[in-house]
Amino acid sequence: MTSWETGPTAYAGPASLVPQSPVPARQAEPDPLRAAGALWWLDVLDSTIRTCGTHGRSEVAEWLSRRRAQLLRPELRVLVVGAAHQGKSQLINALINAGVCAVDAPGGTVVPAVVHHAESPAAQLIRRGSPSAEWTAEVGLQDRVPLGLEALDAAITEAAARFPAGTPVHADIAVPRTLLAGGLVLIDTPALPGLPASAERALGRASDLATYAGADLVLYTCEAGRELTDAELAVLQELARFFPGLLVVFTKTDYAIDWRRNLADSRTRLARAGVPAATTAVSATLRLHALRAGDTALNNESGFTDLIVHLQQMVAAKPDRLARDTVSRLGRIALEELAGPLRDELTAQQNAGLPDAVARLHTTQRRLDDLRKCAVRWQNTLSDEVGDLMSDIEHDLRERIRAVLAESDEYFTTADPAKAWDEFEPWLRQALTDLTGTSLSWLAERIEWMARRVADQFPPEVGEVLPPSALVTADERADGVPGLDAPPVAKFTPGQKLFIGLRGSYGGVIMFGLATSLAGMSLINPISIGGGALFGGKTIRDESKSLLKKRQAEARTAVQRHVDDIFVGLNKEARDTVRRAQRALRDHFTAVTEDLQEIVMESLRNAKAAADQDVAAREQHARRLQQELAVLVQLHSQARALGGRG
Amino acid sequence: MIDEEELEQRTYRLLNEAAHIYRGNPPAAALLRSTLDRLADPLRLAVTGPARSGVSTLVSALIGEDLAPVELPGERPASVTYRDGTQPRAWWQDERGTPYEIPMVRTAHGLRMAPDARHARRPDGASRAVIEWPSRVLRRTELIDTHLPLPQALRTADAVLYVTPHLGETDLQALQASRGIRGPSVFPVQTMIVLSRADATGGGRTDALLTAKQAARRRRREPRIGALCQDVLAVSPLIAAAARTLRDDEFRAIATMAALPRAAAEPHLLSTDRFTAADALRPVAAQQRAQLLQRFGLGGIRLAITLARTGCDNAAALGERLQEHSGLKELQASIAELFTARRAALRARSALTTLDHLLRTQQVPPAVHLLAELELLLADAHEFRELRLLAALRSGRVNLPREHAVDARRLLGGSGTSLGERLGMSPEATAEDTWTQAHAAAERWREQAQGPGLPPAQRRAAEVVLRSCDMILAGLDSMAAPVGPGGYA
Repeated sequence: MTSWETGPTAYAGPASLVPQSPVPARQAEPDPLRAAGALWWLDVLDSTIRTCGTHGRSEVAEWLSRRRAQLLRPELRVLVVGAAHQGKSQLINALINAGVCAVDAPGGTVVPAVVHHAESPAAQLIRRGSPSAEWTAEVGLQDRVPLGLEALDAAITEAAARFPAGTPVHADIAVPRTLLAGGLVLIDTPALPGLPASAERALGRASDLATYAGADLVLYTCEAGRELTDAELAVLQELARFFPGLLVVFTKTDYAIDWRRNLADSRTRLARAGVPAATTAVSATLRLHALRAGDTALNNESGFTDLIVHLQQMVAAKPDRLARDTVSRLGRIALEELAGPLRDELTAQQNAGLPDAVARLHTTQRRLDDLRKCAVRWQNTLSDEVGDLMSDIEHDLRERIRAVLAESDEYFTTADPAKAWDEFEPWLRQALTDLTGTSLSWLAERIEWMARRVADQFPPEVGEVLPPSALVTADERADGVPGLDAPPVAKFTPGQKLFIGLRGSYGGVIMFGLATSLAGMSLINPISIGGGALFGGKTIRDESKSLLKKRQAEARTAVQRHVDDIFVGLNKEARDTVRRAQRALRDHFTAVTEDLQEIVMESLRNAKAAADQDVAAREQHARRLQQELAVLVQLHSQARALGGRG
Repeated sequence: MIDEEELEQRTYRLLNEAAHIYRGNPPAAALLRSTLDRLADPLRLAVTGPARSGVSTLVSALIGEDLAPVELPGERPASVTYRDGTQPRAWWQDERGTPYEIPMVRTAHGLRMAPDARHARRPDGASRAVIEWPSRVLRRTELIDTHLPLPQALRTADAVLYVTPHLGETDLQALQASRGIRGPSVFPVQTMIVLSRADATGGGRTDALLTAKQAARRRRREPRIGALCQDVLAVSPLIAAAARTLRDDEFRAIATMAALPRAAAEPHLLSTDRFTAADALRPVAAQQRAQLLQRFGLGGIRLAITLARTGCDNAAALGERLQEHSGLKELQASIAELFTARRAALRARSALTTLDHLLRTQQVPPAVHLLAELELLLADAHEFRELRLLAALRSGRVNLPREHAVDARRLLGGSGTSLGERLGMSPEATAEDTWTQAHAAAERWREQAQGPGLPPAQRRAAEVVLRSCDMILAGLDSMAAPVGPGGYA
């Protein structure tokens, strides 16, 4: 251990760090607030972890617990990260004045190295259980490969090559140095991929490294020959969210031509991007040279004295200020993470449209309205149809009766009722029976059709509403058509014939008797008798003809009267049937409508209840969210106050 | 099997035929016309790489004048082409490719162009400037200083120097993406990688450049890198540019510092701050030291002082040694052997790539047979394989026994592509001797290629050399009556 590591703090170079309040002074004077709340940060952290647990964010809780354990550890783990060829390993070598990390390796550092203090130097390669295992976790003997201290780089590479590619390994190097004895642990890492051109892959990698390596402090290296790029600023911004005391170290100041300008530009860029990072500029080459030559002035020029003082202050500040800052930041991040979804949920609820229950309620109300309209509609349809049917059936019956009458009239123009009645009467009865049957079955069909028309007025979703067919069929007539008795027929008896014949022959006898009396014959003679017979026969014939005509007319009248009677009866019956059907249909559909209304009303009541319940539940949920948010806000302000006290 | 000349002729014929077929398609026809015109132009060598990797400085070093970077009021042009001309002139190309001549002044650190507002910028933002400068270097090779992405840079160039500080994964991915998977772009014969931070290796010690060169040699043998480029070289553009333009006053300042006792000078060479401090190195004025630092860098100054102490007693000698150390000479040799000497093949390659792309993206029925002919031409073109093998032999990716390696390099055209040079004949040799020599070479390599003695990689190499020998014999055959000895080319 040389004295160079703890040089004077009076370095007045341009690359001085952010001035730190002297830690020993704070420890000297008793601070009542500190004494009371020395571990206040621990309380805040614990309640934050509990809150994460209650919110079901176990991964956040686990992450915070991990950091909690880290913060309680006495050592300060400093992670050195940066793009390739920025002098990370050389920085560590120069800090502890020992060539423990490989420099100038063609592929850069491949295996991360953890450098810490021990009484005697030792080195081992440690294989971690998984890429996400903590570096500080204990590992078994079979996962430790002891390394020779001579040609350490080669030994590390060789040992790492024995494991399959991609195995998470790191070197654990112990060196006796007073700088490290205070609990400082330096971690050398492989280059972050993609930097300095693109931050895409480096972002995740840097966070992972810092998390799993258990870093308390992050040193970002950048060579002084250039400015920080946009991608590097993005990485720094991400790191600064989780790690207070982020330090950007500009290396190789001995070789860079305009490093002061680059440094100033980089600081401006950091400030503009709002990255709370301190900066410093160092030259490892100068420091190593100074240590070899024992040149104090050169050592001061290298910028390392400042860096070392800063690191020692950080070690001292870890249990108090650094821890508080860290908890303040982590707490705020975690709480914001928790609050984000809650807030989103709240806004979503406020902005959301009608919930399902209310939508259902509206649908049901609409259905009820539909049903009401439908009731009016089917009643109208029914009365219209009945009116139509009445006139149709009457017209139909009349048509059919007229046809029967026309046929019977036709028949009786030639036939003699007296002789043909027995033949005619069954025909008439049959015709009327047929007519009645046809009409009634047609009526039944029409009624059924009408029922369908009315049923069609119901909305399709209520299903089958047709009445059972028994309801609408017209009653079959029990008695058939009554028979028709023969009309009274004027008989032409022989006596009448004789009398009429005698009356007719009188004229003939007289006429011929007179004519023949001229010839001397008596009035009654064969000729006059013959003439009388001729005249008598004609009279009888004429008389029987007129009698036939009379009979036929009488038969027609009788038939007409009979058929009219039948028609009146049938018509009455048909109307009655239609009315009955109308009544039956009305009753049926009224019942159907009432049933439907009952169902819809029932579901309306249900929907209303559900909607009310839902609104209440939402209000309650919103209240709960607001309460939870309030709790989070309170914790958040506590966390912020922690940072503010520093 | 065809030689360079025939490759060029057949490429020309193919392009002509394509121009005829595509005459109804103005953009395609214009592209083909410009491609045809370029066949006769010098080789276009693009120098590109990530920002701040020393592209412009390397261009200055190659030209040997402090021309780059070109300054413009406002934005830096996306690409600047340097070509040979009778007098210094500058042109600005607008979006239609019509060049406007614009005034240009030479400043301490390069050129400043003063375009008027009318054509200050191209609408698409890709500004293009052309500088004509009388220079021997530019006679056969045009240099294009560009910071366009690699695929775009390749579209306007025949060959590429990819300049990068450290060859990382990002660079390799960019190179991989720019390499075609079929057709003429499948041979990576047009790319060379330059590692431009050679002087800063290991903190800029005096042996930094040597270490960097060794590292470059290791990297070029890596199969993955070998498959992407012809060569990997470590160069310090800053030292190279300063060395090519070393002025007498600079030499005098360096000589003065070198003359100081070591113990007095060494502490002031430790860092840039110490070197430029007011009370350091009294004999040289602080302002001059600051200028020297800008020109050489700290590593360059250390190197120059060491060289001045070890016997470089004039500016020319120091410049020469500095150029050697900076890696510039090696780069120039590589460019000469792998690019300039084979410019016909590289030009044909880029023309064929353009044609291939056109034929595949804008297919028209009459052009179908052209695609087949293009494939045939590529299968015949031995040039590209020769170039790959030459690069492999140079970089040590393929190792032949020493005496064979020398023979192979000569036959592959590594020391001149004419038949005489390939056979290593003196200009006085008779036709008979040439025949004998050619047959003997063919016989020798047939044995190598078909014999069982060699491992597979070397046998494949021998097969390529054998094809070259066959090509030489065919070339001799085609000269029906060889009139003179030796130099047929």
